[in-house]
Amino acid sequence: MAKAIGLITANYSTKFPSPLTDSRPAASIPFLGRYRAVDFALSNMVNCGIRTVGMVMPYNYRSLIDHVGSGREWELTRKGGGLFILPGSAFGTSRTGSRFLLRDLAHNKIFLERDTAELVAVSACNWIYNVDYNDLFEAHKASGADITVLTQAARDKDVDVCSFEVADGRVKGVKHGAVFGDTAFLDCFVIGREKLLELLDWYAANDYLDLFEALAGDYDRVNVQAFDFEGYAAPIFNKDTYFKANMDMLDPKITHELFSVRPIKTKAHDNQPAKFITGAKVTNSRISGSCRVAGTVTNSILGRGVVVEKGAVVNNAIIMQGCTIKSGATVEYAIVDRNNVVPEGTEIKGTESAIFIKDKG
Amino acid sequence: MSKKECLAMLLAGGQGSRLYDLTKDVAKPAVSFGAKYRIIDFALSNCANSGINSVGVLTQYRPYLLHSYLGTGTAWNLEDGIAILPPYATQKGGSWYAGTADAVTQNLEYIELNDPDYVIILSGDALCRMDYADMLATHKKNNADLTIAVMAVPWEDASRFGLLVADETGRITEFQEKPPVPKSNLASMGIYIFNKQLLVDELRLDAEDPESEHDFGGNIIPKLLADGRRLYTYEFEGFWRDVGTIASFHETSMELLGEKPSFDLYAKDFPIMSNTLSYPPAYFGPDAKVDDCIVGNGTKIYGDAIHSVISIDSVIGKGAVVKDSVLLPGAIVKDGAKVINAIVGENSTIEEGVEFGSADEGKDYAFCGNNVVIGKEE
Repeated sequence: MAKAIGLITANYSTKFPSPLTDSRPAASIPFLGRYRAVDFALSNMVNCGIRTVGMVMPYNYRSLIDHVGSGREWELTRKGGGLFILPGSAFGTSRTGSRFLLRDLAHNKIFLERDTAELVAVSACNWIYNVDYNDLFEAHKASGADITVLTQAARDKDVDVCSFEVADGRVKGVKHGAVFGDTAFLDCFVIGREKLLELLDWYAANDYLDLFEALAGDYDRVNVQAFDFEGYAAPIFNKDTYFKANMDMLDPKITHELFSVRPIKTKAHDNQPAKFITGAKVTNSRISGSCRVAGTVTNSILGRGVVVEKGAVVNNAIIMQGCTIKSGATVEYAIVDRNNVVPEGTEIKGTESAIFIKDKG
Repeated sequence: MSKKECLAMLLAGGQGSRLYDLTKDVAKPAVSFGAKYRIIDFALSNCANSGINSVGVLTQYRPYLLHSYLGTGTAWNLEDGIAILPPYATQKGGSWYAGTADAVTQNLEYIELNDPDYVIILSGDALCRMDYADMLATHKKNNADLTIAVMAVPWEDASRFGLLVADETGRITEFQEKPPVPKSNLASMGIYIFNKQLLVDELRLDAEDPESEHDFGGNIIPKLLADGRRLYTYEFEGFWRDVGTIASFHETSMELLGEKPSFDLYAKDFPIMSNTLSYPPAYFGPDAKVDDCIVGNGTKIYGDAIHSVISIDSVIGKGAVVKDSVLLPGAIVKDGAKVINAIVGENSTIEEGVEFGSADEGKDYAFCGNNVVIGKEE
């Protein structure tokens, strides 16, 4: 593979407040019971042989640091290289909606300057996919591009996704939002290390912009090539896409592609196996370690240590770590955030088109 | 190395020959148990939970999986790490470990390097949750030379065990190895705390005795007793199983099931740690049925899982039934197959439509080793 280092911008914050991201940065939002969004960006880099990864932190970094630690789970605890925790903008000076804020990259120029790698793989943590960066590196070299961006035709309308205007594979412009068929930006790109440093100098005066916004007037002189990603990719910017992406994990074909070909690593916990008591009914669901299920679970995803008591019903729902659904309670079309107790006989119900969120308990 | 109060020597070289094919490729301590653990996790977790951070693991039989699983011991929070101690050669040649005592004798150098006050000898074969710190406190309180962990067993079974007869203070007066007429029902659990210097001296003497079989139970303990040393029991009242046979492995696995299991993995104060890989949560298909099971991550269940242990990364195909059984990690039960009263080894496959095991309670448990394919009989 090409000698490359990784840079993860883990400090995305949404323009649209949601209970799920009130209490945690978007990068550490739980996904499929036991993972967090950042696991995908980190594992993708490590899987292709990158052993030096800088991570630009959000201001509310507690849960993210708790999760990534020293990077041991991703084999990033090393003598040379490894995981570098990089400061992001202070609270109040960060910018919602921005993935690759120039100021955040410029602050950490020293991380880029101290390495000798030819390429930098840069990724945010708002998408779920398992990509082989080596494909991206090869395409980048073959085309001679300055920047190669990972893209995919948008499957749905999504105001949070960025999309490119592309002609003959070359990017001509960028916009916020995507509609069906647009060239959606998977918030991941490859760039020469020296090129990135050069661009940071170019745009030093406009450091309040996102890199791709800053490039807006320069797409004719900076060769940005789109690389179409053929695998499964899902954005998780808002509760609807987050819910949908989780439910996609009930298709074994998708999870096989996402988890079995190249592993997605996550922080290890000493969880017990999941336990199912007589009377439990569990279909089309994903159940994490340490769960104890005596009730009915259908089309749902349970995080670690969730208890579903006898007579409780969980249907089309995401229940996060440490929740208890008491006997006779019903949860339907809902996301129940961590450590909630749903009392006996109560109902938490949304609808297919209006998913209900119960914030952290 | 800095001085330690207590060093653990964990005997993990045993073959476990009565587990037959389950230990064909791996040492008994590395055999998978409880859907995501390996047997040695229990002793290692006990060490960590008891504040013992230095563990020498004595390995011999089929060590590869065991060694790679242990790594440096970080999975069990063992701060000073694990030292893997296989037999080795010297200028005078080398020899295999000839007995439990000989294995430790050959590693006296490791004990001297650590220079602990006490050495706890553990078996990597046994499943129990035990606070060794409490045992050590008892050892110190009694001003003992050697403390032996014991468990009360039913009197009618007592003659199958090595028994310790003790007075009302717990001081051992007699040792009976599988006696026809037991005088006590306190069975040795094979867990010993020695004062370090005594252990070193006695093992050096034992090594020179041509008559000795170099066994703690058979040689060292009887000699210390004859010498009038202060030997005390430490009575353990929790769950303890040796899982030495296919039947006891199966039955102990089943003891993990039920609403209030006799072996509760879910107790919060004393976690069992393990070195596991990242798998996605268990998947249950649209027609899955699960009743009274424990299920590891990475499993895919399309058929029926009834009263069974379904280990990490295993698969139950459409229309397949797994009942009263243990699937070890990576086992695949293909569509329409039936596994009843059986143990399926790691990464082994039960082919489509095959019936493995029998509901007939008179029959022995069916089992197969690791990496085998069970097809239809010709």
